[in-house]
Amino acid sequence: MEILKKKPFQYLVIGLLVAITPLIFDFKQATMTLLNTVVIYAIIALGYNILLGYAGQISLGHAAFMGLGAYVSAYITSMPIKIPFLLALLIAGVVPMIIGLLLGLVALRLEGHYLAIATLGFGVAVQQIFKEWISFTNGTAGINAKYPVIFNMKFRSRESFFVLTIAILVILSIFAYNLLKSKTGRALIAMRDSEHAAQAMGVSMFKYKLVAFAMSAFYAGIAGSLYMHLIRFTEPSQWGVALSLNLLAMVVIGGLASIEGSIVGAIFIMLIPEVIKGIPLFNKVSHMSTMFTGGAMILIIMFFPYGLARIKYIIKSKRSELKMQSNE
Amino acid sequence: MDVFFQTVIAGLETGSLYALAALGLVLIFRTSDVINFAQGEMAMFSSFIALRIWQNDMPYPVAFLGAIIFAIILGFLVERIFIRPASKASLVSKMIITLGLIMIIDGLAASIFGIDSYYMQKAITGDNINIGGVIIQPNALFIITITLVVMAILFYVIKNTIFGIAIRATAQDENTARMMGVPVSKVYSISWIIATVLGAIAGVLIAPTTNVSTTMMAEVHLKSFIAAVLGGFGSFIGPVVGGFIIGILDNLVGMYISLKWKTVIVYGLLILTLIVKPTGIFGKVHRKKV
Repeated sequence: MEILKKKPFQYLVIGLLVAITPLIFDFKQATMTLLNTVVIYAIIALGYNILLGYAGQISLGHAAFMGLGAYVSAYITSMPIKIPFLLALLIAGVVPMIIGLLLGLVALRLEGHYLAIATLGFGVAVQQIFKEWISFTNGTAGINAKYPVIFNMKFRSRESFFVLTIAILVILSIFAYNLLKSKTGRALIAMRDSEHAAQAMGVSMFKYKLVAFAMSAFYAGIAGSLYMHLIRFTEPSQWGVALSLNLLAMVVIGGLASIEGSIVGAIFIMLIPEVIKGIPLFNKVSHMSTMFTGGAMILIIMFFPYGLARIKYIIKSKRSELKMQSNE
Repeated sequence: MDVFFQTVIAGLETGSLYALAALGLVLIFRTSDVINFAQGEMAMFSSFIALRIWQNDMPYPVAFLGAIIFAIILGFLVERIFIRPASKASLVSKMIITLGLIMIIDGLAASIFGIDSYYMQKAITGDNINIGGVIIQPNALFIITITLVVMAILFYVIKNTIFGIAIRATAQDENTARMMGVPVSKVYSISWIIATVLGAIAGVLIAPTTNVSTTMMAEVHLKSFIAAVLGGFGSFIGPVVGGFIIGILDNLVGMYISLKWKTVIVYGLLILTLIVKPTGIFGKVHRKKV
């Protein structure tokens, strides 16, 4: 069974299984909302991992792209002309992608901490624009959005929305997998490991930095649009540095340069607050989850730099090391 | 013209705080090669300590001193616990560690002190001074003086003392410095302590304007980054000049162009500077070797 070993096929099967789970078991409304947001954050973490994990470019302003996607999507679907949801979703991805291209141009001249500072400034500036551009975003009062409608099917219930988000996550995962297995993926990894060496081998920095930023911004926009139509309300304070940091934590904790890692990271970060609520001693302390997330991020980067998704490989290699030692 | 001078003086006041914070950033960056994204949060925590002491009916100078002593301990602990074990890690990893620190300190402050914002008195209260129509608050003068004094001491130390030479040597080349008998790890420790204290001073001085809250340093912190970038991370004088430029520019833009779009314009300027001259005004072009 060759096909069973193919990653895209595995994604498809796992996606199908996860998507139908809520249809079989009866989850609470709040649980369904949480599951939906986990999947949405998995989408943006996936895009961010392409940027940070594969291309090695850091960005502390990615919340801005997600916010932009949310606002664009809400604005388009509330226009008097009827625009189908899928088209709005696509536009909500493409608009941040164009802005992402511009940020990629900036990244061409910068690296490391300068890039981090520039993107941090970018994120704060965009959040400020969200606050002040009243005609587009309705300022701090926030805006509402409608339920998505695809081919006359209204995604009203959380369960049906979950099928939609999972479907999009599976499509985007397969897309990312194929992209990263191709020439583009190899070029990105070469760029991460040494820009100079990559350039010497004929890898165009211009092209691939832009590709990395555009891709991750596209994913962020899609995630933003889905979030908007799930929660159906947004306001500027959501799209700040805190979200960008959480995003970074997802990718670092889950595993840099790993598609599964992005998803594991998103699940981990989103479930922390819920788990802490259940622990009797910790739930007395407010903001425990923020502290825990930060601490987890530091511990992982110090001791398991490859993240949770690859812990089994680390254990395996430790075991084989021990075996080798005992054989000697 | 009065309005212009008024604005410039207000700019000098905030600019000097940006300069202090930026100096701390650059000090850490030069010695231990880390950009401390948690500097603002650490300063916020120290300001809360000052606030708590002041709220318990202690005189203001005691509160100020308390914040500085706390900052010394905090800087020492952060360097020891989080930064030193990771000294061999990659640049991005170190950056991620300080970003994680933001979350830890932020959460800690919110759970200990709450998320409300509190009033804090000015360092000096007194009648405003009127010089030819330009009104100057004594507190503004105090802030500008204290930053200039702190910086003068710091620059004297860096330029003329044996410890300053150790700092500069470590900044230039860690391994060679170690071979020459410079206690590199002590230099790291002390530069983290100095930087944290600089941040704490900026925090306590800005507190009357922003009120003390968990988000009080967000603005100062970001502006200090811009100041450091503008002046260049490569020199110690650069961030100070950058801080004053940002402070004045920020106020002038707010006064004459648009208060609403001030932040966006200033950040736009940051990104523009980075594109045109990534090494800053005083920075030297640094070629990376393969």
